[in-house]
Amino acid sequence: MAAAALEGKDGSNVVILHQLKRGKLTPCISPFALKLETYLRIAGIAYQNDFDEPMGPKGKTPWITLNGKKVGDSQLCLELLSETFHKDLSHHLSIEDKAVARAFQIMAEDHLYWVMLVWRWIYNGGSSLPLIQTDLHFAVRYLRPIVVSRVKSQVSAQGMGHHSQSEVMEMGLKDLRAISNFLGTKSFLMGDQPIEVDCAMFGILAQILWNSLGCPYEPHFTAGELINLKGYCERMKRTFWPDWNQCLIPPLVR
Amino acid sequence: MAGCWKKPNVSAGKDVVLLHQLDRGVFTPSISPFPLKLETYLRMANIPYENDFKDPMGPKGKTPWMTLNGEDFSDSQLCLELLASTFGKDFSSHLTEAERAIGRTFQIMAEEHLYWVVVLWRWVYTKGKTLWAIQMNFPAPLRFIMPIFVRRMKGQASAQGMGRHSQEEVIEMGMKDLRAMSAYLGIKPYFMGDTPTEMDCAMFGMLAMIVWCMPGSPFEQHMKGEFINLKDFCERMKDQFWPDWNQCLLPPRV
Repeated sequence: MAAAALEGKDGSNVVILHQLKRGKLTPCISPFALKLETYLRIAGIAYQNDFDEPMGPKGKTPWITLNGKKVGDSQLCLELLSETFHKDLSHHLSIEDKAVARAFQIMAEDHLYWVMLVWRWIYNGGSSLPLIQTDLHFAVRYLRPIVVSRVKSQVSAQGMGHHSQSEVMEMGLKDLRAISNFLGTKSFLMGDQPIEVDCAMFGILAQILWNSLGCPYEPHFTAGELINLKGYCERMKRTFWPDWNQCLIPPLVR
Repeated sequence: MAGCWKKPNVSAGKDVVLLHQLDRGVFTPSISPFPLKLETYLRMANIPYENDFKDPMGPKGKTPWMTLNGEDFSDSQLCLELLASTFGKDFSSHLTEAERAIGRTFQIMAEEHLYWVVVLWRWVYTKGKTLWAIQMNFPAPLRFIMPIFVRRMKGQASAQGMGRHSQEEVIEMGMKDLRAMSAYLGIKPYFMGDTPTEMDCAMFGMLAMIVWCMPGSPFEQHMKGEFINLKDFCERMKDQFWPDWNQCLLPPRV
């Protein structure tokens, strides 16, 4: 799909979101794509999806084409979109609250994310993939041992790979507990209105809640101490993804 | 390096921690944030300890590590938590659960995100050259095999993710983290209020690197300007827990 051909003829900004094909249980099995697409929806920015070229300029997914310009990394994309379309969902927050929001986002995307990744690819050996996605990426379908090996070396470089399974799962649980304790009874992380960090948080939590079948955190979500996180994910889904069922492959018909 | 590890022949007394770490630095007692964090915690908690500088790399191939009553433990955070429970120390008991959650997020921002900015600066952008300025006792042959370490750290940073960004993007991410930390600290003496907690040791460990061990970095200037409260926080931690700071440098300062 040639990006240049899709620039708006009337001069309006055109956003193409490039991501993996839809999942069975969530619109994307990647937390960062789900984050970015949720942001586009909250911010009311018109966009088109491209599922054919999911890997972007930094060798990662998702990425966007904005008026023909290719941009990688979900956070850099989000910040560029925010600037281009003059959307600041956090303008009402104090600088202290914005700082706290950033800290929670980093915990989700740079720490809890690795626990999710390790569980999905190493402890579970990638066996959950066919359960959560129909149209698996070529590498996942035919070269799973290579993908697993690559994740193992990434995790080792990042540091989490040096810990035992029980240590890693405990770290993840501590992160989840922290998010749960901070969220409390609020509707969204920082209060009554959803902001950018909620997109990131939802992206990661959705993977753990819905795409980690058999994960030891499940009982904590359904009946235990993390039940407010389940409520939070349901709220985000209900509010910003009324068409959730149609954004799955196969689509869910009620 | 982990494969060449041999149990050292030193031991401290009963209930005395033997802390294994790198040799003292020129400007800071350690050029690594994690030994500085752990040693600061030992001092804050008044836990008796001795240093061993001869075997800095432990069973997980990382530094610091500790021996307590004949048993070895790795990872500064796991060590800290073990010490807290063994010696019955809790500096965060007065915090609410939400506050403790916030404390955790800022610690993770420092140790899992800002940390990589420091790694990239030290090893990739300055090609390891600042090491000669901040630590004396490197064996001369290291100068020749430095490119190997540089390549290794580059690979680690790339696997973790931050290494895939441009230098400009990475520096900006570091600035955003420091801005968030500065905003949250505000005019408080310590991150969580009037008394220092465990996470202040972690924050001090990382921020000390930026304040004192990154000569010529863009952050250095900001520490005297926009982030001056972070520098003041470091001076405060240093004055309170390291009255002998100058004697804990190599060479010792008179």
